[in-house]
Amino acid sequence: MANALPSLFWPLFWAVITIGLYLLSRAIHQRHSRWWTSPLLLTWSQCCALMLILHTNYQDYILGTHWLLTMLGPATVAFAMPIYEQRRLIRQYWYVLLIGVTVGSIIAFVSTWFLAWVLGLSPDLRLSLMPRSITTPFALEFAKETGGIPELAATCVVITGMLGASFGGTLLRWLPLRSAFSRGALFGMGAHAFGTAKARQVGTIEGSVAGLTMILAGIVGMLVAPFLAWFLR
Amino acid sequence: MIRIGSLFFQRSRWLQVGALIAIWWCSEIMVHILKLPIPGGVIGMGLLLALLLSGVLRTTWVRRGANRLLDHMALFFVPAVMALLNHSELLSIIGLKVLLVIAVSTVAVMVGTALVVDFCFHWGDGCSDQKPDAEDPTT
Repeated sequence: MANALPSLFWPLFWAVITIGLYLLSRAIHQRHSRWWTSPLLLTWSQCCALMLILHTNYQDYILGTHWLLTMLGPATVAFAMPIYEQRRLIRQYWYVLLIGVTVGSIIAFVSTWFLAWVLGLSPDLRLSLMPRSITTPFALEFAKETGGIPELAATCVVITGMLGASFGGTLLRWLPLRSAFSRGALFGMGAHAFGTAKARQVGTIEGSVAGLTMILAGIVGMLVAPFLAWFLR
Repeated sequence: MIRIGSLFFQRSRWLQVGALIAIWWCSEIMVHILKLPIPGGVIGMGLLLALLLSGVLRTTWVRRGANRLLDHMALFFVPAVMALLNHSELLSIIGLKVLLVIAVSTVAVMVGTALVVDFCFHWGDGCSDQKPDAEDPTT
């Protein structure tokens, strides 16, 4: 069926559909905010359903939408702006961020490794799960250094991001947090880029802190990777 | 003429988005040539931050475009999430285990980090007599 239509149709179709479903999901999320109505989750599930119905595989889908993925690069650049606007606060409390990222990274690595071991996952899978707490570009480097499978690691990063961003809102309601900093760090450390997108909706300070936490976590991960590689072998 | 041009630039979100894309593109080229282990986006962010801090650029020049990009980041993630479909082996017991590991671990990370940061944030206030910035609305 795909061959009968001009080859430009399907990529364009998926691009338009993705953007359209995204806008729809945002509208739904604004009306009903539950953890499972996050725009990302909704858009993803709707696209999934559509793909199954139309018998499309991932290769066809990505042809029309990979430009959306590359837009993450400029979005990272755009992060300089909220960071710049919060610079005074950050200059005052930079050590808090550093401590938070260190503790968060330790919890992430130790708990991931331990749980994966307890549940009997294969060593390959365990290694690929390790960098799940770091944002994708850093995580891929980490996986290469420690001997994990990069593609699997990227998948784990995405799952982490999705779950973290979804759970984060609920956690905020249960935890007795008094500072915007801690809310931002929660999202940035737990769900990196996905969490940062969510944190921006919570507040401007939360958004900037989340972005910084995410980048710091990435850098910490990169520095620790060689040691972990040696230690985990 | 330049006045009008700069005014137009400050008000146009799309031109600003274009400028951000340009910065990112240059950073990617730099990373590629210099073989840096840091992703192009982070380099670009550092570059933009430096430009803003040094006063070469003012926030009005990039605010609208930056906000546009940042507000819609979830959309940019969708293709990455769709990649999950490629791994049909995850739709099995192993997949459930992976999900469990990630879910529990992520909650632990988020709770631990948030509590530690919250503690340190206020411990810092208690130790020094500095009052937090007026920008911080939480105290």
